[in-house]
Formats: sequence, C-alpha cells, structure tokens
Amino acid sequence: MLAANKYENPILLAPMVLFLLAFLGFPAVVDIIYSFSEITFETLRAPKLSGIGNYQKVLADPEFWQAAGFSLKFGLVTAALECLLGLFLAVFLSPLFEKRTWLLAVIMMPMMVAPAMVGLMYRLVLHEFVGPLPYYFYIWFGDSPSFLGSDNIFTTLVIIETLQWTPFAFLLCYVAYRGIPAELREAASVDGAKALRMLWYIELPLMLPTIAIAFFIRFIDGFRVFDNIFVLAGSGPGGSTTSMSIFIYLAFFKLGKIGTAVAASMLLFVAVLCLLVVVSRLSQRRASA
Amino acid sequence: MKGFVTALRWIVFLVAAVAMNFPVISTLVTSLKTNAEISSNPGLWVQKPTLENYARVLEVTERLDIFSYLFNSAVASLIGAILPIILAFPAAYAVARRGYGRNILLPVVVNLRAMPLVIFAIPIYMMYQWVGLLDTRLGLGLILAVVNLPLALVILVNAINDIPIELDEAARIDGAKIGSIIMRIVAPVCRPALATTFIFGFITAWNEFLFGLMLTTREATPVTVGASFFFSASGGGVQWGVAAAVMIVAALPPVLLGLIMYRQISGSMTAGAVKG
Amino acid sequence: MKRYTSLNFTALACAALLATTSLSQAAVTVLGWPGGPEETALRAASEAYNAKSDTAEDDKVELIFFNRDGFFDKLQADLAAGTDAFDLNLLATYSIGRYAPFMKPIELSDNAQDVYGDAVLSTMQFDGKQYGVPTDLSMHFMYYRKDLIDALLADEAAKSRYGEISEKYLGEALMPKNPDDWSWKDYAATALYFTKAINPDSPTRYGTVLQMKNLLFNIMVFHSLPRSNGGDWLDAEGNVVVDSDAYRDALKMYKLLADNGATPKDSLSYEYAEANAAFGAGQVAAMMQWNAAAGDLTNAETTPVIAGKVGTVAPPTGPEGRFTHIHGLGLGLNKNARNEDGARRFAKWLSTPEAVTVYARNGGAPGLTEKIVATVAEERPDLVPLGDYASNYGFVMNGGTSAKALSVYELQAKEFTGYWAGQQSLDEALTKTKSGMEELLK
Repeated sequence: MLAANKYENPILLAPMVLFLLAFLGFPAVVDIIYSFSEITFETLRAPKLSGIGNYQKVLADPEFWQAAGFSLKFGLVTAALECLLGLFLAVFLSPLFEKRTWLLAVIMMPMMVAPAMVGLMYRLVLHEFVGPLPYYFYIWFGDSPSFLGSDNIFTTLVIIETLQWTPFAFLLCYVAYRGIPAELREAASVDGAKALRMLWYIELPLMLPTIAIAFFIRFIDGFRVFDNIFVLAGSGPGGSTTSMSIFIYLAFFKLGKIGTAVAASMLLFVAVLCLLVVVSRLSQRRASA
Repeated sequence: MKGFVTALRWIVFLVAAVAMNFPVISTLVTSLKTNAEISSNPGLWVQKPTLENYARVLEVTERLDIFSYLFNSAVASLIGAILPIILAFPAAYAVARRGYGRNILLPVVVNLRAMPLVIFAIPIYMMYQWVGLLDTRLGLGLILAVVNLPLALVILVNAINDIPIELDEAARIDGAKIGSIIMRIVAPVCRPALATTFIFGFITAWNEFLFGLMLTTREATPVTVGASFFFSASGGGVQWGVAAAVMIVAALPPVLLGLIMYRQISGSMTAGAVKG
Repeated sequence: MKRYTSLNFTALACAALLATTSLSQAAVTVLGWPGGPEETALRAASEAYNAKSDTAEDDKVELIFFNRDGFFDKLQADLAAGTDAFDLNLLATYSIGRYAPFMKPIELSDNAQDVYGDAVLSTMQFDGKQYGVPTDLSMHFMYYRKDLIDALLADEAAKSRYGEISEKYLGEALMPKNPDDWSWKDYAATALYFTKAINPDSPTRYGTVLQMKNLLFNIMVFHSLPRSNGGDWLDAEGNVVVDSDAYRDALKMYKLLADNGATPKDSLSYEYAEANAAFGAGQVAAMMQWNAAAGDLTNAETTPVIAGKVGTVAPPTGPEGRFTHIHGLGLGLNKNARNEDGARRFAKWLSTPEAVTVYARNGGAPGLTEKIVATVAEERPDLVPLGDYASNYGFVMNGGTSAKALSVYELQAKEFTGYWAGQQSLDEALTKTKSGMEELLK
C-alpha cells in the first residue's frame, strides 16, 4: 500500500462529496422530515410532524410488499438473463468485433432509445390489429398469443427489458474480455489448453468482478424499473405489475400520499444500504483471505 | 471447421442484432408509413414510403422546434455525462487504491441509483426555484450529473482495481504528485472505462424524463419531453407515424456518439498490455 | 422543526426578492392542453383576443404547453411549489378539487349562462364557486358499424342466431335493434354475436373492444354503465354506496364479455389508442369511446377501412335511464399569477359568445347551448349532439369533483381491473373499493 499524505484521500473525495451535499443535502433533509410528517401538496412548506406513522403504514401495506416482491423478482430475472446473454455474445462474437469494430454500434443501438419510448413503441408492435408481431404470428401460426394478458405479461415485460439492456452487460463484458492480457492466453495455449477450458479456468475468473458489477448494476436498474412498464401496462390489472418505483410514484402523485411515498423510499434506501455494506464486507474478507 | 464456426458467429450476431433492435427496426418502418398504411398494413414492408412524418418533425414553428429540444438535451446530457467523471475519478482512485470510503461512502453513493427519483422532484424543484436554476440547461445538466454519479463511481472503481498497482508505485517513487499520477498514468490506462462511463452517462441523461418534465417549462425542454408535443392526438391518442419519426430523430445523437466512441471502448487495450 | 420553518422564511424571502428583481412579465401566460384540437382552438382564440383593438399590450396572451404524459404531475408540482410561470392553467372536472387550494375563483362574462348552460358551467365549479372557464367537453359515444348492423337487421337467419346466442350467454332471447334503442343488454348481445369465437360467421373478429387497462380514464368510460343501473359513489347523506347491485351487474357484464372473448385478448392493456386501432382495423362491431375519437374514426385518411361505415349515438340505456359520463376541460386562475388582472380579463372574454364561436370553429369541443351552437352548426355539426347529450344524458358521480376524486378513479381502476383479470373476486374488489373510498372521502 502506498504511503499517502494525510490530507490526500479527503481531497480526492471532496469534489464528489461536496457536489452531492450541495444537490442532495437539502432534498434529503426535506424528505426525512416529510417521512415523519403528515404532509400533502398544500402543506409542503409547513409539514406537521407525526412520528413514525408513515413507516408503520408502509410496513403494514400489502401493496408495498407486493411491489417489493415484483421488483425483486423482475430485477433478479432480468439481470441474470442480461448477464448470461451479454457474456455469451461478448465471448462468442469477440472475433467478429475484433475485425469489424463498427458491429459494436449495431449491438449498442437498443440502449439509445429512451425506455419510455420503447414502451410506447411496444404498444404498437404488440397490438393485435396494427402491430407487426401479432401480424406475423397470425400469418405463420394462425393465432397470436395474448402478450399483455395477465398470464403472459410478466414474461413479456422481462423479454422487453432484457432485449433492451443486454447490450449494457455485453459492453462491460466485452471490455473486460478484451482487457485480458494476451500473454496470459498465450501462456495457457502453450500448455495446450482448449478454448473452453481456457474460458472456464482463466478468462471467466478474470472477468468475474466485471460480471458481478454488470449483474449488480442491472439488478438495481431492473429493481427500480419504471418507464417502459408504466407506459406499456400502467401498474397492471389489479396492480399486478406495480414495481417499487411505480408504487412510490403512484403514492406520491396519483394518491397524494407524499409521506407514504417518502417513507417507502427511506426504507428502500436503508434496506439496499445494509445489503451493500454486507456484500462489500464479504467481498473484502474474501479478497484478503 | 473454422469456416463453420465463423458462419455460426455471424448467424448468432444477426439473430441477436435483429431481436434486440426489433423495436428500433419496427419504429423505423413505421416512421416511413402514412397514417392510412399504419392502420391497414401492420407488416414490416412499406407499400408507399413517405417522408411526411419526418417533415412534420423537422419543420420549425413558433410552437415546435425539434432542434432547440435536441440542443437542450445535448447540453444537459454533456454536463450530465462529463461532470460525474471529473468528480468520481479522483474519488474512485481513493476508494480503489486506499480503500478510503469503501465502507460507507461507496455504498451510500451507489445506493442512490436504487432510489426512485420522484421523491427528490419536489425538494429539488423548490431548491431550484430559490437559486434560479429552474428551466435552465445548466440546472437540468447538474441534476443529471447527480443521477449518473453512482454508475460512474462503480465503473471507475472497478477499472482502477484492474490496473496493476506497480504502475503508480513506480511513479510515486519517482516523486510524482498524486494529481499527475491520476491524470498522466491512471487516466490513459482507464480510457476504455472512461469512454464506457461517458457513453452510459450520456445515454442515461439523454433518455431521462422525470426531471426533464419537472424542472423545465419553456427554455430548457429536453427532447424526451418535447417529443410528445409532436405526436399527441386528441383524447390521449398517439399519431404513430409522427411518434416513430420523433423517436428515430431523438435516438440519432446518442447513436452517432456511440459510433464515434466505439473505437475508444475496444481500441485502446493498454490496460491489458501493461498487466502482463 | 422550528429551525426548518425559519430557514423556510429566509428562502421565501429570497424567492420573493428574485421574483421582483426578475423582469415582471407583462403578457398573460396561459398553460393549455398540448397537441390535438384543444391546442389549435386555444391558439386561434388567443390570436383573436390579441388582435382585438381594446386588448392592452400588457394583456396579450402567450401560450405554453407541457408534455401530455405527466402533464398533471408537473402541474401539481408547479402549483404546490407556488410557481408564477403561468397565470391561467388547464383544469379538469375530476381534478378541480385537488387544485382548488392553489387557484382563485374567477368571474365569467354576463352571458356565460346563455352560452354554456348550467350543466356545463358546473363542470368547472367546486365548493359552489366558479374556478374555471369551460373550454372543452368530454363524454362518451357509442361507435358502431352501420353496415354490419344494417346487414344483421335485414337477415332473418342472422336474427335467429342472434337470439340463440343471447339466450345462451345472457339468459334471454333478444332481437337485434336499432343502436339508438339499445339497452346495455342489447349491446352485450351484439358484442357476443359479432365475436368469431362464438359465432364463426361473424364478419369481425370481436364484437366490441373494452378498455380495461388499469387507468383512471378507462374507469370513466366504464361509468356510464353502472350509472344507467342507478349506481353512484355517494348517497345523499354522503355514505359510500359503490358496493351496490348497480356496480355489481356492470362489473359482471364487462367480465362476461371479456371471459367469452368478445373483446380483444389484450384488452387488459388497452386504452384510447389501442381501442381506436382495433375498431379502425374493421375487426370490432361496436364500442364505447370518447367523443374526441369521432374525427379520426370517420376520416378516410386516417382509418380508410371503416370510413363511411361508422355511426355514433349516446351510450345504451339501462333500467335507470340513459347516461354518459361527462367531464370538462377549462382554464383557471393560478393563485400566484403575475398578471392576475390581465388573466381575469382573458378568462372573462373566453366565456363570451364571440370567443366560443372562434374556439368552436377552430376545432375545439365546447359544450354549448342550443342557441349558440346554432351559429356554428354549419361548420361543426358534431357539436350539436355534444351539447344535446350533455344536457340530456350527462352526469358526474356524486363526489366526482371532490379533492380526492382523482384518487377514487385510480382506486377503482386498480380494484376493478383486478376483478376483470381474475385476480380477486367481485366481493373482494367491491369491499376494497368501498373501504378505500371511505378512507379517501371521509
């Protein structure tokens, strides 16, 4: 470890910390006060403190837990699919990209369209009478499934999210894969290691931190999914596609329950923080072991 | 055998490209159809291609000006993509190299990405009202920078972790200052990660909707918000042809950026070269 | 807490300072409903106003618009934070109670009564005060395929098949009728008859298209049905009476049609645009839809498949009468308006016969009395039934303009769609709706 000057580390962190404090310090304080208050849009400037009532209400609200469950499931499933697909494409197609780098742009394209727009577009794409997908289903198979009916909607949403964000996992994996030192590979191939064995024993372990990061980011993004689901399905029949973000958004704007929305967010913040701290402790322990 | 594998790679590439880009392809096709054709021909083959939808989008009127929305988005997104890198890079160095802030600061900042932004909308609105940042490109860009910070920090910490420590130790022994180590030695090696961070940040900022809606009124409207000005029809309906054309136009700048940046992502592999 | 308040005062003082130092805007700024005919009409009206010789330079009207998605959320945030970015802003009947704390009542022109009539004026009233000048009126029509119904009425074999189907699914043998004479049962029977899954000879794939996405506007479309059964939100004493047979039968009818495939299979994700697309593709025989769709659905450019074959009437009749849910859009005065007097003058002018005719001629859909509508009937024949239906069949649920009305619609959307999707029983849905409404409306 390098011997660091006493002030060096704080100085390195200072710009980021000050910036965050400047922009989120006030909102965070306001939100914390709101979460302990009776608060409506009329009383934004004069919240009435009411103790932990909002927190009790949120924790006792089955819809909150339903939304948490939906988000958790959606985040895990999509993150896993995206990472597997992204990893596979990065490794398998790497020789193609080495020669023709512009092909990367084709794979990156889906991310360039705003998720809200993607949701809007799928409203057209999946429409039974004017959408191309059901049209070809009818031509080729004589019938078209109910993509957005209550049985299939979760699968449809997962596929839509996965198709748009696999490129994200792909890009991180590809950078990591190309970053593996050529010497390591050469040394291994002198030993006569087959491609698959090399992948399993040498390349994957080296890429593992990046894959973990990709999974983590995609999980977080999947967990807080909002735009595409909301535009395409709203909160779903009976609230069945209410993600955590949709729950909080609806509570905030549609129902005017600002206290509930903010308290739910605070709980979410604490839960994720605990998770992150535990994960980081564990990974450090493993690294130092 | 080798030819077979290459062919297989191409097939996989094509399938993946078409599947993932299906909404984009379908949008492109829709944007070239007339309204009448959209309601009568759902297929991907355009019978009577028209540029009418694009003409509607690109026409500048007193009320609608796609170019100013694009400009607003571009300025705000550049701020929102570059500023987090400047702020997070030194911090990432301290976290990765010294473990400083790893236990509390890193999780807290990363955690911000999981927060539903809507709860910040009202307090930030009030704050901006007081300091006069409401409805400005700068104000929008700064808040997009906040949104992008967590991702920038994660990617950059990961990237610096991958650089052999001998590299900066050597410089340190030569008496280099911390600032120049970061700028001259670490940054060049991290170029692919920096480029990736920039691209992801730009895309996120470009596609952001909530703050674009809440914090702008008429001067700084970004294109995600301005888009629906063009295609909303009576009664909550959508003019699909125009909507598709707006989406294509709005997606062009990030696509062009991706085209420019992909060399940076895959090209410089110095990190690997040094590691061995 | 105290510190927080004092901090606030400082901040408010700063804000006040900023507001006075920034150039006070002379013009009257109006926030309108973006896109569509409402915008065109408002534009024309404001141009006419600005061109008047007696409009002072400081009173000239300038229009701004937000995005339509999230419009009301943005407006809510702006008003709650005390914005002065606009003087007049859009109001809707169902949100008037929610925004009233941030608005000031206005005075209309002396002839407002003759122009709009009481029913339409009341769509912009809250707590007995006039909060807005009505601009556009929204209600539901039944759209049906004239060609298909005529063919059905002329075909004896088809008639008996119609009777068999209605007997089997509705427990009552019905005969086809002219759509203007339909009861909701006739509507259901027709919807079933024109469904391929039930009647393989049907020229359309589905008999109707129901908008069943979990969305408050869809519940408005639904509401004409329970109302015609005598349903309401609150009784005269203010008790929640949503748990009634009127609602029960209405909810069951939707479910019956959905379960038997009389509406497209993805109907649980359908809203305005989807329903129009299905009807426009020629695969649906009849549907309830907003009056705003009339333009598109009868236009050969936009919907060539069905142009010239579409008829419109008021929604069907129920045991308690014939009803259409109405709500109005209008413009109200922001409490923090910079140019309050100018804004008041414009709002007053908007309610004059002169202004409404400009508004109507340029695509707006104001609800007008017979006398006024006669002056524009030639250019806008569609406005005649609008005013007619509004005064004869129009209704607002008891409680439909309260501060929490919007939330009630949201709640019903959630619970009712849950029942239609088969996720909960009818009793569960209505019990939850009732207790939720009691909480909201207490």
